[in-house]
Order: sequence, then structure tokens, then C-alpha cells
Amino acid sequence: MSDDWSAEVEELRLRRRDAMALGGAEAVAKHHERGRLTIRERVTRLVDTDSFKEVGTLTGQGRYDGATLKGVTPAPYVMGLASIDGRPVAVGGEDFTIRGGSSWSGDRKKGGQGGFIEDLAASYRIPLVNLIDGSGGSVTSINKRGHSIFPGVHGFERSVELLGKVPVVSAVLGTAAGGPAGRAILSHWSVMVDGTSHVFAAGPPVVERSLGQKIGKEDLGGTQIAVDLAGTIDNRVDSEEACFAELRRFLSYMPSNVWEAPPEVACTDPVDRCDEELLSTVPKDRRKPYNMRKLIGHIVDNGSVFEIQPTYGKALITCLARMNGKVVGIVANNPMVYGGAMDVKAARKQIHFVEMCDCFHIPLIFLVDVPGFMVGRDAEAAATLRDGMRAVYVGLQATVPTYTVVIRKCYGMAGMGTTEKNGLEFKIAWPSAEWGSLPIEGGVAAAFRRELANAPDAKAREREIEAELRAMASPFRTAEAFGVEEIVDPRETRPYLCRFIDAAQARIRTSLGPKAKYGVRP
Amino acid sequence: MAAIQVKADVAGSVWQITTKVGQKIEAGETIMIIESMKMEIPVIAEQDGTIDKFMVDEKTAISEGQVLAVLTR
Repeated sequence: MSDDWSAEVEELRLRRRDAMALGGAEAVAKHHERGRLTIRERVTRLVDTDSFKEVGTLTGQGRYDGATLKGVTPAPYVMGLASIDGRPVAVGGEDFTIRGGSSWSGDRKKGGQGGFIEDLAASYRIPLVNLIDGSGGSVTSINKRGHSIFPGVHGFERSVELLGKVPVVSAVLGTAAGGPAGRAILSHWSVMVDGTSHVFAAGPPVVERSLGQKIGKEDLGGTQIAVDLAGTIDNRVDSEEACFAELRRFLSYMPSNVWEAPPEVACTDPVDRCDEELLSTVPKDRRKPYNMRKLIGHIVDNGSVFEIQPTYGKALITCLARMNGKVVGIVANNPMVYGGAMDVKAARKQIHFVEMCDCFHIPLIFLVDVPGFMVGRDAEAAATLRDGMRAVYVGLQATVPTYTVVIRKCYGMAGMGTTEKNGLEFKIAWPSAEWGSLPIEGGVAAAFRRELANAPDAKAREREIEAELRAMASPFRTAEAFGVEEIVDPRETRPYLCRFIDAAQARIRTSLGPKAKYGVRP
Repeated sequence: MAAIQVKADVAGSVWQITTKVGQKIEAGETIMIIESMKMEIPVIAEQDGTIDKFMVDEKTAISEGQVLAVLTR
């Protein structure tokens, strides 16, 4: 018998050719017509050149004539090891050109919901990138198996485990319904594309059958609903190319896993830069808001801001940024929306962002201007109090170094969630800062009700009392009592914070690893 | 000519309409001011355009997402 394996290698070549053909030329052309790239095109555009090493290329459904192979329909999921900016990542995604990317089961799953790709991320402790374009399970599988499968047989347990260990990012690049939609949510950060991406628990046919509601995909789960209104997905972009750039950018702020410190870069922006505009950013008139995004730009390293959920929960701004090249997480109230009051959306946004930064040992900077929780019937009906207290709870459990910079208002329960109770509790204030259990103008009418009722001119007396209390509410008086640790000239905020964040690196390097979770979130 | 709806980011009441129908405005300019949470919150144009009509008057109570004005461009 000859030792020549040429025939087998030829079979390998044929099987690979079938795999590379995806769902066939016609299906690929149709996919392109819809303005979408194929899964291999997506991976190629996302990762470093020639870095993709595919796993499970031959997986699929073989067709035979007796013992002779006629062809293979590939499994509708492509995955493997690649690198982004020189760091290894596990990457995978559904192939929509084969049965709409619906799930496929061999002896072992490739990915999409657990599977090899998630095992790879967990085992090697490297980030996972999900490129999602599939509609999950299909009832046709009952025919194939002869029985229906229990939900979670190929479950999310690995996906959940990953959230505490390695960065997980998901891009919704087509229609994600059912399992793939759920997979997108189990991420540290997610993104979708205007016009071509949709995400929902169930698509229009199921909605019509269940509720008699006729609704199109865009109105059910386009970016306006899923990103701007619901916050189901974090960010939106206008093209797949932009999506890949954003995925790479997000990962540039992340360590490969929770056992490593966040990546530091060389900083070309002077640490001692003191921008003059900060002296007049906050209006003296307390009714006038200001641009918090501009303020952030004056403090952090030039060009380093990556905003998370910019179109959702606009009363709060959350962004990753750098200070002297070190990654930080900024949580800033936005006075332009509800005066910075925490509504239910802002609370949800803060909860996820603070947990994510804490998980990856990214120091937090709170730029505080919060008059309290949002008030009113709508706010109460939306459970602002419960989600607001969840934000406070998560803040109080965080153990990452945290810097509280009070820009203007810091009131009530929302204000309580902005300090590092498990560490230094380092509170820095601008001269424009004010604080208390509730804003003076809201509290006088209730606290002095009897006195005001007996006053000849109740309105005038109310204003007098407000003025008396406000004079005593100067931040300098609290600083005398060491109730705040420092008051800074606004222009000096950057050099002051940079110095402390530099010094905190030793603490970060010596407290790496997964964070213990305990208790019950309210 | 494309119509652009200007929507409220916040619930509150219309404090002051600072522009007029027919006025050309640039992105970043204030169209009106909403009073909400005891703050004067500017409604800022996201795109250049001409004010076609206002959908609210001063003192009107408004809800989040309500259309305040229509611009054409």
C-alpha cells in the first residue's frame, strides 16, 4: 500500500472549497444586494491582516452517493482565532446565506450560544467578538430530531461566565431574533448598523400571530427603537465598516481579561494642561445648563473619548477615555437633559457602565451635577426609584479606585452613588459645587411650612430663607470641616486627577482578578 | 424639501420661543427654551434649516419626544 495521502488531501481541498462558498453564489449575491457583507468578509475587515485562523471549517452536512462525497452544506457559523491591534481575540458569527444563519447542531456547537468559540475565549482568557446575523432556532428542527428540545440545552451559561472574565463585544449586523438577540445582550458592549440591522425577541410574523399587530422590522427593532429608545443595543453606526472600526476602538480600552490591567498608551497631551475655558464653563445662574461633553474634553487626554450609549438615557453621559494614557471610565450628569436628574434610563446606563469598569479595573471619574432622582408621575411609574437605587447599590459595591468631582449639584440618593465607599472616598469639588439631602429651593416650602403659612408675604419669606440657607451652603464651609477632601480651581482638574490616577496604578496592578459578587440587587 | 422634526429630549413646559417662523438657523443654534427640573434647557438644532412651523406655544406643557417644531432644508 502506498503512503501517499494525495487523494485525502484532495478531498480536504474539495471540502474547504465548499465551505468557502458559504450558501452558494446566488445566496451570497442576494446578501450583498441587501447591503450586507458575508461573515468571512466581516471577519477579514475586522481583524489584523492575515491573522484569522479558522476552526471548524469542515463542519456541515455532507451529501454522499454511496461512499462518494457529492458536497457539503457548511454549518451556518464561521469562527476562529484572530488578532486585533496585535492582541488575540476569539471571533465568530452566523452565516446568513445558509438557512438565514439559523442554529445548527453537530457533536459540538461551533458558537452563537456557547460552543467552541466561547470555550476558546474562556480557556485562553481572550476577548470574544460576536458578529451576529441570525434568527436562532427553527421549528423545522423538530422534524429532523423527532422531538423538540428543551430551552437552554445549548444555553447561555458560558456566555454568562465570560461577562466576569473577558471583554465580550457584539455587533448586530443583520436580523437578530431569539437566541442570537439574547446573545447580543450578554455583552459588555454592543453595536448595530442603521437600516440593515434589526434586533427583537421575535420578528414581525410572530408579533402578528401573537398580537394581531402588523409591524415592519424597522419599526419593531431598528436602531431608533433598539438603540435610542430602548437601550437594548448600546451604540449605532451608519455602516458595517464603521462598526468594525468601533469594535476595534472599544477593545483598545479593554484588557484581554480581568487578570490583566487595562492597556496603557503613551500620552502626547500635557498632563499639566489647564484649559482656561473651565473657569467660565458653569454659569453663575443656577437655572442655566452648560455643555458637559465639552467639559469632559477639557479634562481627559485629547481625542481619547469613546462614548457609550450616546443616544440613550441622555441625562447621563458615560464614556471611556484616557488620563495620561491610562484608561478611565467617566460618568457625568448632563445638565442639558432634566438638569442632570437621574431618570430610569440614566440609572440603567450607569449600572451597566459602573459594573463594566469595576469588572475590568478601570478607575471611575464621576463628574457630578445631579439634583437627585427624576420626579413626577411618569418617573414614578417607570420605577425610577428602584432602578435609581440599583445604580446606587452597584456604585457602593464597586471596588475600583473612584474619583468624585462635584461640578455643581450633588443631592440626595442619586448623589450617594457617586463616591468610593470601599476605598478612599475621595471627593473633589469645584467652587461652583453645592450639596445636601435635597436642593434648597425644593425643600424650603416643605420644611418651613408653618412659618411660611403665618408670614404676611409667604413668597418673600420663602426667598429670604432660601438666601440664608444658601449662604451657609458654600462648599468652602464643608471643606473647612473636611467634608470634602479638596476644592480645586476648575482649570487644575486635569493635572490634579492625572497625578492621583497615576499613583493608583499600583493598587490596580495588585488587585487584579475576577470580582466577587454578593448580595441581591434591589 | 425635506422636513425635519425637532423633538423634545425632556418633559417640561415651553419657557421661551427664541426664533421665528421663516428664520434660517444653523446646527447648534437654540430654537426655543424648555423649563424642566427648574432649569432652562435649550432646544438645539441638530441640522441647518428654516423654521417652517412651531407645534407648541410658550407655556405649553410638553412630554419627552414630543415634536416641537418642523424645519425644512
